[in-house]
Amino acid sequence: MKRNSNRRKSTGQSNFVKLSIFQPQKYKFKRKCPLSGKGAPAIDYKNVKLLKKYMTENGKIMPSRITSICQKKQRELSLSIKRARNLALL
Amino acid sequence: MNFYEHTIIARQDTSPSQLKQIQDKYTDLVNKNEGDVVKVENWGLLNLSYLIKKNKKGNYIHFKLKGLGKTISELEKNEKIDKNLLRYLTVKVKELDLKTNYFEKNLDEKKRKL
Repeated sequence: MKRNSNRRKSTGQSNFVKLSIFQPQKYKFKRKCPLSGKGAPAIDYKNVKLLKKYMTENGKIMPSRITSICQKKQRELSLSIKRARNLALL
Repeated sequence: MNFYEHTIIARQDTSPSQLKQIQDKYTDLVNKNEGDVVKVENWGLLNLSYLIKKNKKGNYIHFKLKGLGKTISELEKNEKIDKNLLRYLTVKVKELDLKTNYFEKNLDEKKRKL
């Protein structure tokens, strides 16, 4: 309990505390999933522009640990990429 | 009744009148087999990203259907035999998205540039 209260104080002081290497995993910067949440674009095999964003130049699907897409959306994405490949759109 | 999205790719050397024949042929087929074509989108001649049967380009036709599993199996049975077609793809969807057309916008942008 004591630790918790200390942590809260330290984060309240400044945002730069988060940048320290010695901070616990909890406070490191982590991007949110760009495809979930309000206003996010729908994943569709016809939307080639969006799908190309999440592929490498060689046409491979990028891993979610780089793009920080959540697991559910990553599954959807990989399925729609494979559909687009079948139609020779990608 | 289920909703489906159905896309076919025709050979690049088919004439426009032939394309229309193909489109009419399959809409008739769907209507005969307890189905209903809600919308047809013509995506036009697009570059294929890889060769299919030695074709570099293909004519894309996209159908939005309402029907049963039986209609789809009948459709695909006929499309397998068809020599004018390169590929087909059927996707079952929960709701038909009639508003967005990802391929029409590209045409408009190209025209503006020209």
